[in-house]
Parts: sequence; structure tokens; C-alpha cells
Amino acid sequence: MGIDKEFVMLADAVIAGKHIEAGDLTSKLIDESVPPGEILENGLLPGMDVVGKRFRDNQIFLPQVLISARAMKASMKILEPLMVGSGHKMKGTALLGTVKGDVHDIGKNIVSIMLQGNGYTVIDLGTDCTAEKFLSGAGQHHPDVIGLSALLTTTMVYMKTIIDFLRSQQVSIPIIVGGAPVNQKFADEIGANGTARNAAEAVELITKLMSERKEN
Amino acid sequence: MPLQIQDFGSVCCKRYGMLVQSELTNNKSQMTNEGRPLNSKERVKAAMDIRTPDRVPLMCQMSIGHMLQQLPVSPVEFWFDGDTFAEGLLLLREIYGFDGILISLHGHDPNWRNQIVERSNSEDGEVVRLKDGATMIFGNDDLPQVVGQEAPKLRLTEINSEDLPTSLDYIPVSQGLHFRIDPRNKFGVINTIVQKAGKEFSIHGEITSPFDYFLDLLGHQDGLMALIDDPEKSKEILEHFTRLIEKLAVEMCDTGIDAIKVSSPFAGAGFISPDFYEEFIAPFEGRISQSIRKKNVHVYLHTCGAVGDRLEMMFASGASGIECLDPPPLGNVELDHAMQVASRKGFVKGNVDSVNTLLLGTDGDIMSDAKSRIEIGKKAGGFILSTACSIAPRVKREKVLLLKEAVERWG
Repeated sequence: MGIDKEFVMLADAVIAGKHIEAGDLTSKLIDESVPPGEILENGLLPGMDVVGKRFRDNQIFLPQVLISARAMKASMKILEPLMVGSGHKMKGTALLGTVKGDVHDIGKNIVSIMLQGNGYTVIDLGTDCTAEKFLSGAGQHHPDVIGLSALLTTTMVYMKTIIDFLRSQQVSIPIIVGGAPVNQKFADEIGANGTARNAAEAVELITKLMSERKEN
Repeated sequence: MPLQIQDFGSVCCKRYGMLVQSELTNNKSQMTNEGRPLNSKERVKAAMDIRTPDRVPLMCQMSIGHMLQQLPVSPVEFWFDGDTFAEGLLLLREIYGFDGILISLHGHDPNWRNQIVERSNSEDGEVVRLKDGATMIFGNDDLPQVVGQEAPKLRLTEINSEDLPTSLDYIPVSQGLHFRIDPRNKFGVINTIVQKAGKEFSIHGEITSPFDYFLDLLGHQDGLMALIDDPEKSKEILEHFTRLIEKLAVEMCDTGIDAIKVSSPFAGAGFISPDFYEEFIAPFEGRISQSIRKKNVHVYLHTCGAVGDRLEMMFASGASGIECLDPPPLGNVELDHAMQVASRKGFVKGNVDSVNTLLLGTDGDIMSDAKSRIEIGKKAGGFILSTACSIAPRVKREKVLLLKEAVERWG
């Protein structure tokens, strides 16, 4: 079987959310000496790209996205140790967290899944994150973008506190905000670099912000 | 000490634009058979029966955070103490002039103080350590926060029938937060409110959907994947919770309430497809709805976010109405479309945007949104003006009072 056909099969396994099959196919490709970076670029990411577009267009919903992410994770579990030192570069790193006072994480987790599915490294700080935790995370992981999540109208106001604090500490990377009550007007008012209505749009926004940074 | 309206100073009755008193009272009142105007209870009932009352009723659900912001009360007492909770709900109805009261929690333990080991203060609010080892922080603008790691969830493959509860002794209020139902006092708070206000105002209880209990049991992500991994076992668990909830709901009907809200926040398009709604939501919520209707109590489904693609199924469930109907951008439901779909099959309760209109909008935005909804709802009949989702914590009292003004002016 040609290697391209195997990449297609891997992508299909991701799209269908078949995690055991995705793991098996990944192991097979490794056994065939295919570089892990190529497996990621030609099998997993094209699969997750389809998932992202179908999710954006309401052709699939969260359960389907989640099982696709699980399939990708099964494959990445095999690839990641092999990619260390391989020179393969991810698209960028995103530092995500739900802000202080808020323990809701579904939205953040979906953004994380979609970002990883698009070739980004995600550092997830979890929930109930203080401004100091974001600063510490930024110092430790040198992300290309920081994403703040909040579900509640009472906690979304803390996003401004975090942004002001990070800017006062000379953190100049883009900071985006998201969550059910958040809109563009609010994002503008608190000095965020953008917001997105859903996870697929969040990936597009981050890609755009990173591209703008590179140009500058 | 009972809460009193004097504690709040005078209730602001702000005039809007050129509104004058005569306009407020110039309703063509529908009278009862006894020749008197409808009271609030009758007004809401007329709407739920899909008749046209003397004016559009007004009844909003409030977030716990909003209640705490409006009441001079300890958040700890308000959460645990049934009498304080009941007094607070009664007082807020009076302040806002709502036609009814939604009792969102029930089953308070009268001896709740015995469960507390320690109370202390922190910058985030009062900290309560409970006998069962849990620590909770009570701020004054939100639900309490449970500190520490959430207990690990069961995996679908590990769950046996003996792992499932045999009676419903908790309400999954929010992620990681349960409200314990005292089996000896399941409906104490409802009984109190029905006794004090049930003759004049519409009193609604609340139950949580089987799908919510299911996701709470498994964790949200694993629960959603379980629907694909093992749909039959998922349905068995849903069936189990449905039986328990149905029993609780039927018992609740005997308290004398007028309606029960079925809270089902995860059944919208932000989570699952219409196909999954049909398979995993509608049959179970439908059964509960039908059991409640058999007790001659109204029932309405509350699902947040985008539900435009499943309105038909919601109305076909056997419920007497639906509420929330978040408009864009939070959801995707326009009221005129919902009223067309309802087509007198069920009542509609909604759909003023609590965040973008009530919290962030101007007085003019609120009056304009309320007016347009009243006009649509009044024409169609079977409509109750309400915020779509709960009134957000930091919404100012004066903003909520504009809704009352709107129904009196245009309803």
C-alpha cells in the first residue's frame, strides 16, 4: 500500500473518531520509518482540518469532535516522544486558561482540541487561573498567544484585570478572550486582541494574529 | 429576622420617555368570572393555557448571584437555609413585580448548621468547611465554588447498575457543584412559598434533566463521547435517571405548584446534534413532561443557547411550553419564528437577552427589546415575558424594573 493511501486512512480514522485504528496506523507508519512530523502533517492534521470545518458548519457536533480528538491523541501519544529533537516545528504555542472564579472548562477544552488539531502546542493552565498564573505560564512556556476563557458574566470582568496585569509586566504577545457572554465590543473595551464565537473561529483568529506578528 | 422590603429603600420606579401613569393603568383588563381583574397566578395560567390574559405576564428566573446582589443576606445562609431562601424569593418577586416565582433549589436541610465544621472569611468570600470534607467559598455574586479537585468521574465501561443512585438526593447545579436534597424535607421551601404566595402568584418548581445528571456522572467530555461509544448503555443510564426524576417531579406536583421547569442546559446545538436530541433527550424529557401534565401541572423545557433547529421536537415532547430561547448572539432563536413553530401547541417564555440587553444595554435597548417581544407574544398568545437565561448577577435592579414597566405599558 502506498504511503499516501496510509495517510488518507489515518486521516479517515481521525475523522471517524476511531482511536484504536488511529493508534495502530500510526505505529505501522512508524514501523515503515515514516518520520513522525510527516505523519502529523499528512495524516493527523488533514483529518482534524476536516473535523474543524464540519464542526464550524454544524455538520458535526461536540461528541464527534471529541472522539476525533481522542483518536488524534492516541496517535500523538506515539508520535510525541519520537518528535522530541526531531526538528519538527509546530505552528506555535497557545497558553490557555479559564479565569479566576470560574471553573467551567468545556469551551476552553474545545478550543484546545481544535488548536492541537491544527498543529499548535497547547499549554492548558486549567480553571480558576489568576493573573499571576498566566504571567508565570507565559514566562515558562513562551507562548505565541494567550487565550482567556470565562462562562460567567461575573468572571469575564476579570479578563481585563489579567490583560492589564500582563501588559504592565511587559507581556506583549496577543491575548484573546472567549466564552458565551463575551463579544467583540467587550473584547475591544478590555484591550484584548480579539475574540471568536466558537472554537473553529478561535483557530482562525490565532492563525491570523500569528501571521500578523510574523509580518511585523 | 425575616427579610423586609424596607431593607432596600424605595423600589425605583423609573419612568421611561414620555410614559405617564395613565398609560400604565390603561389596560383592557380581562376579568375573571367573578368580575374582578386577573391576579398574577391567573395571568400566568392563562398564558400557559395558551389563552390571552389581560396583559402579558412577566416572570424571570434569576441567577443566585443576582439574588445575592439584591438581598442583604449572607450567601452561606441563602444557600443552605430554606427559610432564608424562601424569604429572599418572596421579597425579590415583590421588588420586581414578577407574576410568579421560580424556586430553583429545594430540599434544604433544616439542620444544615450541624454539617458545618468551620466558617471563616477570605478575600474571595466566606469559606465553609463541611463535615464531609468539602470546602466551599461563598462570594456575593455567584454560586458557591467548591475548592479542590473534583472527584474522579466513573468511566462508562466501569458503571454498573449498583453505581447509580437509587433515589435522587442531589441537584447537579453547576460543574463540580451539587445541592444536597434532604429526603426528610424535599419540598419544605416550596411548601413555604406556596403557602405564603401561592394564591396570588404563579409558583414554579424546577427539576434537572436526565441528560444533565448523565453528564454530571461521567464528566461532560466523557459523557458526550459515551453517546457514540455506547449509545445503548447511555440510554440505560438516562432511563435510570428518568425514572428517579419522574418520581421526584410527580411528588413535587403535589405541593400545589403551578408549573415545573425542566432545566436542560446541555441539549442545545452548542453540544449535540438534532439527531442526538431526538435520540437522547426528547424521549426522556418527554416522559417526564407527560407525567407532570397528568398531574394537571404545567411543565416547560429550558435549554440554553442555539435551539432553533430543535424547536419542533421541544414542542412535540409533551411539555406545555418552552423557555429561554436565547436570541443571537448567545443563541439563534428569534421570537417570531419560535411563536410560529409553537403555533399554539405550547406557550413560550422568553427571550430578552440577559447579557447583551439587560446587563450591557441601555435603558432604551431594554425597552425596545421588551416592546418588540411583547408585541409578538401578545399577538400570538401563550407568551410570558422573561429574560432568556437567568438574570445575570450584576444586572442593576433599575434595569430589571424596566421589564415591569414594559409589560404594563405594552402588554
